Parts: sequence; C-alpha cells; structure tokens
Amino acid sequence: MSKKVLVVDDDSDVRSFVVTVLEENQYIPLVAQDGVEGLEMIEKMQPDLVILDVLMPRGSGIRLYHKMKTDENLKKIPIIMFTGIALRSFLKSQKVLDEFKGGEVPKPEIYLEKPVEPEELAAAIRKKLG
Amino acid sequence: MPANKILIVDDEEIIVKLLSMSLRSDGYETITASSGEQGLEVFKEQTPDIVITDIKMPGMGGLELLKSIKKIDSEKEVIIVTGHGDIDSTITALQYGASDFINKPVRDEALAIALQRAKEKIAIREKLKGYTENLEIKIAEATAEIHRKSNFQLLLIKSSTDAIVAFDYDWKVVVYNPEAARMFGEPAKDVRNKMYIDDLYTPKIAKIFKNQASAKKGQNTFPWKENMLNTKDGRKIPVRYTSNVLYEKGEFVGTVNFFQDLTEIKRLEKELVQSERLAAVGQTVSGLAHYVKNILIGLKGGSYVVDVGIAKNDTEKLKTGWETIKRNIKRIGDLTQDLLTYSKQREPEFETCVPNDIVNELIELLKDFAASKGVRLLKELDTGIGEVLADPKTIHHSLLNIINNAIDACLEDEEISKRHEVKIKTFRDSNNYICFEIKDNGCGMDEETQKQLFDPMFSTKGGKGTGLGLLVTGKLIEEHKGVIEIKTSPGDGSTFTIRLPHEKAIKVDIN
Repeated sequence: MSKKVLVVDDDSDVRSFVVTVLEENQYIPLVAQDGVEGLEMIEKMQPDLVILDVLMPRGSGIRLYHKMKTDENLKKIPIIMFTGIALRSFLKSQKVLDEFKGGEVPKPEIYLEKPVEPEELAAAIRKKLG
Repeated sequence: MPANKILIVDDEEIIVKLLSMSLRSDGYETITASSGEQGLEVFKEQTPDIVITDIKMPGMGGLELLKSIKKIDSEKEVIIVTGHGDIDSTITALQYGASDFINKPVRDEALAIALQRAKEKIAIREKLKGYTENLEIKIAEATAEIHRKSNFQLLLIKSSTDAIVAFDYDWKVVVYNPEAARMFGEPAKDVRNKMYIDDLYTPKIAKIFKNQASAKKGQNTFPWKENMLNTKDGRKIPVRYTSNVLYEKGEFVGTVNFFQDLTEIKRLEKELVQSERLAAVGQTVSGLAHYVKNILIGLKGGSYVVDVGIAKNDTEKLKTGWETIKRNIKRIGDLTQDLLTYSKQREPEFETCVPNDIVNELIELLKDFAASKGVRLLKELDTGIGEVLADPKTIHHSLLNIINNAIDACLEDEEISKRHEVKIKTFRDSNNYICFEIKDNGCGMDEETQKQLFDPMFSTKGGKGTGLGLLVTGKLIEEHKGVIEIKTSPGDGSTFTIRLPHEKAIKVDIN
C-alpha cells in the first residue's frame, strides 16, 4: 500500500511542486498550509513522513518540529525539513526552544535547503520510506 | 621754524642795548636800529621775524614803522612799546595790525610773554601755510582714496555670489548686481534706477519685503529664510534670502535684499539622498538574493510540474504548474518595480482623483483573496472628500502595500479564534490633509519590529517578503510631502495612518 506523505508549507507553489514529486513517486500526498493545520493533519491522518517548511504563519515549522519530537506518539514519524533558511539558523531556534521548554530535541535527520531538484527530494523520501 | 631774529627799534640807545643783551642771553639773534627810518631800512635788508619798536621816536614813529612793515609783509609780528596811558596810540596800533603791547619800562616777563605769543602766531601761520599748500595734494589723495574705496565696495557688490538688490525709500531699484541680473533674468540697464520693486519681483516676494520695512521699527535685519523664487520669465529658483531695512537717523531710507541660489545645493542634497538609498540597497543585497532565490524555487517547482503535466498529458497539472510560473514571474515584476521606484527619485504627478474611488477599487481587488484567508475587509469612507488634486499612483501603491501587510498580519496572528478584519477609513484631519487609516486586529508588532519597519530589506515574512514594500511606500509618501503614522500593540493589531497634503481639484471647463 502506498505511503502517506504530508507536506506542510504556506507557499502554494512549493506545495504543488512537492505534491507532484510525491505523485510521480507513487506516494499519497497530503497538504497543510501552516503549523496548526499541519498538527491537525498529523494527528488525524497519521502520515508516514512529514515534509516541513520552517517559516510559516500560525505555528511555524520551528514549533511543529519541536512539538513532534517531544510528543511520545509523534516522535517516530520521520521528518524532512524543506526550507529556504540555513540549517544553522534552524538549529539555533531549536536550541532556544529547548531552553525555553526544557528537554532536548534531536537534530533533523534530513535537512534540505531550497531550491531542490525533484530527483534530490525523491531520493530523500525514498531513503526514509524505502 | 624758530622765530629767532628780532629787530629792536628805539631812539634811546641804552634801552636798545639792554633789550638786545637780555634777548641774546635768551638765545635770540638781535639786530637794532635807533630810528623809525633806520628800522625800516634794516627790516628790508635783514627780514627779521619779530620787530620790537618804541612808539615815540623823532622822525618816523613806531606807528609809522608798523604801517610800513605791514605794507611790506603783513605776516611779520610787530610788538609796540608804549608809555602808560597812551590809549589812542594803542587803538591805532591795533588797527594797523600790531601783535602786542609792552608798557615802559620794559620788564623781562612782559617781554617774554609778548615774544612767546608772537612766536606762537608765527608758528600757527606757518603751519596754516603748510596746510594750505598741502591741501590740494591732500584733497587729490582723499578723492583717490574715496574713489578706491567706493570702487572696492562696488566691486564687492558686483562680484558677490549673492544676488544683491537694494531699493531707495521710494522702492526704486538702486543696487542690482550681476548675480541678481542672472537670477532675475533682467539686464541691469533695464532695472537699475528704472524699475520699482513691483516691476522686478512677483507680488508675493515684493509683499514680504514691503511688510518687513513697514514692520515695527528697530528691527532692521531679518533671519535667512528659504523660499521658491518665481521669476517674471517663469523660472522657479529655490533661494535662501534675507534683507536689511536701512534707516538714517531713524528715517526709512531703503531696503537691501540678498538672495542665494540654492539650485546647486538642492541638487547635491538630492544626489546624496539618492546615493545613500542606493548604498542601502547595495548593503542588503543578500536579503534581496534570498527573495530572488525564493522566486527561483517557485519557477523551478512550477516548470517541474509543467514537465510532468506534458509527459502525462495532464491538463490539471499543466494548469497548476503554469499558474505557479505566472505567479513567480509577477513576483519578479513587482520586485523590479519596487527596486526601480525605491532607487529613483520621483516627483509626485498631481492629477484630479477621487481618493474614495481608489479605496473602493482596492477593496474590490483584494476582497476575494482576503476572504479566502478568513479576513474581512471593511470600509468607512468620508464622502465629503470628493475630488482632490493629488498623485493617485502614490495613494494606490501605498494603500495596496499597507492593506496587504494588514491581511498578512491577520494571518500571522496565533490567536485563531479571533474574527480577523481590516478596516479602511478615509477622513480629513484638522490640517485639511486627506487621511487613510488602515486598521487590523492581527498580530501587531513588538517594539523591535516597529523600529526596523522602514529599514531596507527588513521583512517579517521570511522569504516571502522583499523587505522593500513599506520602504517604497514610505518614500512615495515622503515625496508627496505626506506622513505615515503607526500605532501597534502585540496581539491587538496595528493601525497605519497616511496623511497627504493635496490641492483643491481644478474644475476644467470643457466649453
């Protein structure tokens, strides 16, 4: 059975790109346009993988990542960070959240900086889902 | 010159001898004669400076001698030696021009005083003579000096880089230097001593200076001010000017005006602002690169989707991809436009427009987009505004930018339960400026964000903002001589108010 992949990005251009890549690689695409909607979808649809943007209105990717990595039920879902901001900036934001909320979240396993070739993205997804 | 040579005339030999001895011991050179006749002869030969003569002598008396000497040289000093009580002779001697009298017997002190006086008279006369002789030379010198000085002053006025125009009490032009001629465009020969203030200046400028002259007495200098000088030939020159009201013994005698042409300075100022602006853009090229990268992401993604659509003959995919590409082409277009608007100096183009119509158009344009994001657009327009003369492009661009920002602020708001809305209000303020108030109940801004609002390339929208929007808006409003005010509170929303000056719309009569 095809695996479900959720893309959380506020940019509709990015969503349609990722959705197309997912379809081409025989995955079932799910979409959410901000962090709040993303969390709802994750809880409701239980996706096999989340492709997550960082800077978004309403519950940014920074928070959603932190939330997922600290939630017992969600921490197993693999995440691909897919963003325009540098990894260094993202790690810094996570460190701030760690200090603020306590605990320590692991670094993202896959961090892709936009722009990314469709093949590159597909390869990253395959690596996580097989 | 010391008056040293004294002629002593007396028929009594002993007196002559005594006087002579006494005077010689005082350092004088003396010559003597024992009668009037002899005295006259000796006088003619030896030309003494002072003559001391007895009044009563056989033959030619003292008075006769005095008369004769004065006839020969009226400037010689003659001291008459008289007996007591000889008033008549004394008066006659005075009439003949005697310089002094000594009573007999001659006392040394009296003689010394008389001689002193005589010597002083001679000295004064000689001085006077010297003055008279020098007077012509001195007058010539003084005239040359005055000439030189006035030439120098004329040259000063002539070569001044300030335009100098002076009027007499009748407001006739009396001074009009070459810089003034250049500034006002009227040749000096047609102006100086021919034109009056109202012929040279436009009524507005003439009125300023006339008012200054009639203002309270005592104030005769006025601070430098800036104004736009409209010349009679229709040029507009930015000038700095001042004036002096001239009084002589409390009477108004005229006015002098100084003008400095600021055209060059204004041009340099503009250039400076321009180069600063370009530098700001340059410094933040990385911010710009980030935005361009985002557009590139969009374009790449879009073309991939189109490729897939073509390969699968999937019209839906083709449409989606094509929309993405078009949207990003527009983003590049908008960015280019913003950059151009921001980097170029632009003068507002005033035309008749209806501000409320512009607001209505924009609400129509943005309504559906806002609704799709769950934001309501509301309006409260002052119908009394009507037509005005202003730059509709400035109004349109500024409102579009701020309303878009307001919608974004609502989307950024973490308080999802809030019913988000953006309200656009128009009104006139107490300065008769037309005002646009854009009020949202979105996320608001903290102090830090507020400070950076007008910094180039600052964006709260991650990669989705150019960081130019508000900057361009601020610049357009500034060029329109308007102001933009911001009130904001984190969590409660922001209110942006634009105040623009305008002129009354001119009704064009087509007939």
